[in-house]
Amino acid sequence: MRLKSAVGITCAAVLVLAGCNRKASSTHALAFVTNNASDFWTIARKGTEKADAERNDITVEFRLGDGSAAGQKRIVEDLLAKGVDGIAISPVDPANQTAMLDDAAQRTLVFTHDSDAPASKRECYVGTDNVAAGRQAGDLIKSVLPNGGKIMLFVGQIDARNAQERLQGIKETIAGTKIEILDVRTDDTDRVRAKANVAETLVAHPDVAALVGLWSYNGPAILNAVRDANKIGQVPIITFDEEDETLSGVKSGAIAGTVVQQPFEFGYQAMTLMAKVLAGDRSGIPSTRQVFIPTRVLRQNDVDEFRKKLIELRGR
Amino acid sequence: MTKKKDLAIFLLLVVLCVVVTALNPRFLSPANVQNTARLIGAFGIFSLGLGLVIITGGIDLSVGSSFALLGVILSIMLTEWHLPWPVAVLVIVVFAALVGLVHGLLITRLRLQPFVVTLCGLLVYRGLARFIADDETKGFGDAAGFRTLQHLMTGSLFGVPTPFVAMALIGAVMWVVLHRSVYGRHLFATGRNETAARFSGIDVRRVIVSTYVILGVLTGISAIFFAFYTNSISPSSHGSFFELYGIAAAVLGGCSLRGGEGSIVGILLGTTLLQVLQNLVNLLGIPSSLNFAVMGGVILVGVVGDQLLQRRAAHVSS
Repeated sequence: MRLKSAVGITCAAVLVLAGCNRKASSTHALAFVTNNASDFWTIARKGTEKADAERNDITVEFRLGDGSAAGQKRIVEDLLAKGVDGIAISPVDPANQTAMLDDAAQRTLVFTHDSDAPASKRECYVGTDNVAAGRQAGDLIKSVLPNGGKIMLFVGQIDARNAQERLQGIKETIAGTKIEILDVRTDDTDRVRAKANVAETLVAHPDVAALVGLWSYNGPAILNAVRDANKIGQVPIITFDEEDETLSGVKSGAIAGTVVQQPFEFGYQAMTLMAKVLAGDRSGIPSTRQVFIPTRVLRQNDVDEFRKKLIELRGR
Repeated sequence: MTKKKDLAIFLLLVVLCVVVTALNPRFLSPANVQNTARLIGAFGIFSLGLGLVIITGGIDLSVGSSFALLGVILSIMLTEWHLPWPVAVLVIVVFAALVGLVHGLLITRLRLQPFVVTLCGLLVYRGLARFIADDETKGFGDAAGFRTLQHLMTGSLFGVPTPFVAMALIGAVMWVVLHRSVYGRHLFATGRNETAARFSGIDVRRVIVSTYVILGVLTGISAIFFAFYTNSISPSSHGSFFELYGIAAAVLGGCSLRGGEGSIVGILLGTTLLQVLQNLVNLLGIPSSLNFAVMGGVILVGVVGDQLLQRRAAHVSS
């Protein structure tokens, strides 16, 4: 008897709490799922919060993935069980998560962000065009090497989709110039190896004209190795993303420029667009089903303003 | 036997260096020798400790995760709490020693297997590192307030990188301890046959615990070198799999995973060989993707050659 009443009270409490969670009856519950936990997503979260605050027809739940496809599957199943109206997700392994995304798409509105899964039944992608980002890096390379030269590229894993696309963008831009890519050295995200790769490149190729880091930590790795070799200013550096050391390097002139993404816009635009679609307005979805958030090139003079904004967004 | 093993791996190393120099003379350029010596030093220091543990028949899989945890703590102590750097360094080394002590006590008092204890360590320390750092990359910035430490860790002494100097000093002390002291003999005896060692009056438990504490101290020292080498610690990947470099160096250097065999010189030669292998991949323009395959291949050649030599020796002596 006691057990039954306890169960009854618990159920009632859960129902009341669940009821409290709704803003209004017409409110849609949206979820924003990341691939892992990093500084990048702290900024995207601010974007989702802004969308949540601006619109009274949505509530946004922010979920951090653990870097694995299995972890994401658990989160998505959990969200579907709760009956969310829309999920925006950055798939860890798009090629092999198609089935999960298709399954979710049958039951709710699914967007991809940050990393696309074009083969799936997702409604739309909101994120970076990495080929275009590669082209911007290519333009930076051309600007520091007007007379051409040999360049070396560094990345964690070259089979990663964004690495492939950035490389493609760079190759497209430097095609027909006298700039030659010596090789792409990989480090499996081991920062010790990343730095050693650069140090050894400087030894093996004394004539290397520029060093390009495709992933965020490659920036500091290149910067530190070049500094140790006393070659700051002699070998131009081009990087991606905005690690603290990378920004300091751009500010001091040691790095010619860095190509940065806008995660805040991923969060804000994905949530806003989903809200519109749920309200019956599909005009925001282009025929390509891809909404590209442009990447930015930061040079020496842009760093102070960018840093200020970054501190605001990160809230620290 | 050990001396012969050391000689064999030394010859392998020399042959490799000669071949690489012939293919790319820049291998012997001062810049490359310095770069490689720096990495040999940082990897060699903890490999010595790991070798000691392996000689007693143990293993430690948690070294790489410890690097992440210690690195994160070091960064927080220096850049957020602004502790004087000698205090921070002391805290790291003592903390690492305590971690080793806990491993040793769990292994000897609760009779848990070293593999299991340190596998748990691998998971726990990585998780703690990520939690403490809030999954954000920790760094040293421009090292304001602890430039001396940064110079010490990243600098050179008469052209020799400090990690290498530290490794040479530690190696010399360890050589005396392992090969010229009673403690060293107890260590080998424990590794060869723990029961027999116990019956002959050796405090086996104490010997085993001491090796994990020594490994802890050396892990702490290596952790500081690695942290300043990268100047930033990403808690999810820093030091990942580094324990395998140490284990590979020890095995390549003649240590047996069954315990009871190994030498300091062998471990250092093994470490050197591993770093030279990674260096030559870049210097000879071998695709990065083949890096691990080259390393694995050479280790296999090394242990196969060792096995054949031993069989021949056994055959001759019988």
